[in-house]
Amino acid sequence: MNASNIGRWMLVLPVTALFIALSWGVSLADGKGIFASKNCGSCHQIQGPAAEKTFDDQLKKKGPELWYSGSKFKKEWLEEWLEKPTTIRPLKYNSVTDKNTDKHPALSKKEADEVAEYLMTLTAKEVAKGTAEEKVTPQGKNLFIKRYSCVGCHSIKAGAQKVGGVSGPDLSEAGKRLTADWVYAYLKEPKVFKPVKRMPVFVDIINDNEMKTLAGFVAAQK
Amino acid sequence: MITKIFLITVFSIGTIAFTGKGAAFAVSAEENYKFYCTQCHGSDGKGEGANSKPKVVGIDLPEMSVTPRNHTNPEDMNKLTDTDIESAISGGGAAVSKSTIMPPWGKTLTEAEIKDLTAYLRKLCKCKGK
Ligand code: HEC
Ligand code: HEC
Ligand code: HEC
Repeated sequence: MNASNIGRWMLVLPVTALFIALSWGVSLADGKGIFASKNCGSCHQIQGPAAEKTFDDQLKKKGPELWYSGSKFKKEWLEEWLEKPTTIRPLKYNSVTDKNTDKHPALSKKEADEVAEYLMTLTAKEVAKGTAEEKVTPQGKNLFIKRYSCVGCHSIKAGAQKVGGVSGPDLSEAGKRLTADWVYAYLKEPKVFKPVKRMPVFVDIINDNEMKTLAGFVAAQK
Repeated sequence: MITKIFLITVFSIGTIAFTGKGAAFAVSAEENYKFYCTQCHGSDGKGEGANSKPKVVGIDLPEMSVTPRNHTNPEDMNKLTDTDIESAISGGGAAVSKSTIMPPWGKTLTEAEIKDLTAYLRKLCKCKGK
């Protein structure tokens, strides 16, 4: 046996071992593996940065980005939702005319926990910790409903009723789902997270303090 | 021969660079309207987009408290000058003493795009304004 033959065996053996392991379902039993085997990546971008430049780039997408999941979501919500998904966006993804009637793929409890564990490792450096405090304040409500009319495109609870628009994600329970730090970063640096979208850019329109108040208000809706 | 090849090469690189740039940035007023405005003003500009009347798309939420302007109505649109329209698009309802439910697009669209949209609205209402 010469040197190049040994090299070949060193490659073949581990690959064979890997195939055997895979067929027993051993190395698939982690969140990243489940994400790949269920083809979640066919609809969700899992690696940053955002690359969309045109309307078409956005309209080609089949689902929201997940490459900053760890900064955006609260882990308990993620675990629960992946097992029992509910509708977040009232209209079909990328549509402004059709009601969202899609059934999102669901995972078993064990799979959901593992995928959540994996998604929570995907963070964005642009989201700093401790920027905004989760709090419903009269100021926050005033900014959201009157001053900037976020409610024109997003629904929230008003007492027992829900009010607002439907083109943006439902924010009536955003506090279970989103972190205040991410909402603040999303308003402050929209290009990092979502360069092409139907929501207006509010940079230099809403001041920094107001953005923090709004982020806190959104992330306290339950 | 060599000069000929040289000229062809320069010419084609020039053409690719030129069309490339045009294609990447050219968005017509109609495309902007469809992407940003129809969610409230409706696909036909009559003010009945999904946000304005969620029940029309089968979602059980109350109507918007202020109806988005019907851009095809010459009577309403004739009350506005082109400058009024540009201010409303750029600064939102707040800039023209109207409802803030009309959002500000001045940091989303360029000035040129806002001018083009204004001209597009004039086509929708088939009116010139005051
Ligand atoms: C056919 C496309 C498609 C596939 C496949 C898919 N998703 Fe989704 N996913 C969507 C869409 C569309 C939404 C938005 C749902 C809504 O807003 O109601 C979504 C929402 C989500 C969200 C919430 C994100 C947010 O910002 O609200 C998570 C988390 C998620 N998907 C994870 C997964 C995982 C994990 C898998 C694989 C098991 C998966 N998805 C497979 C299309 C898909
Ligand atoms: C003209 C409609 C419109 C207005 C006005 C608007 N939004 Fe949005 N918003 C959207 C849309 C559409 C999205 C979804 C973007 C995407 O992911 O494609 C969105 C996304 C968001 C998100 C992220 C939600 C998620 O789960 O990914 C937050 C937070 C948010 N908006 C907050 C606000 C706040 C605060 C205001 C007011 C200052 C506001 N929005 C005003 C349309 C709007
Ligand atoms: C969130 C919903 C919403 C979106 C999105 C929206 N509008 Fe409006 N728009 C309104 C409402 C509501 C009014 C009526 C305000 C009033 O009468 O007080 C209005 C009024 C207007 C007016 C009349 C202003 C005046 O002085 O009478 C113009 C012009 C206009 N919109 C253009 C646009 C354009 C162009 C776009 C897209 C770039 C757009 N709108 C996007 C809700 C919206």
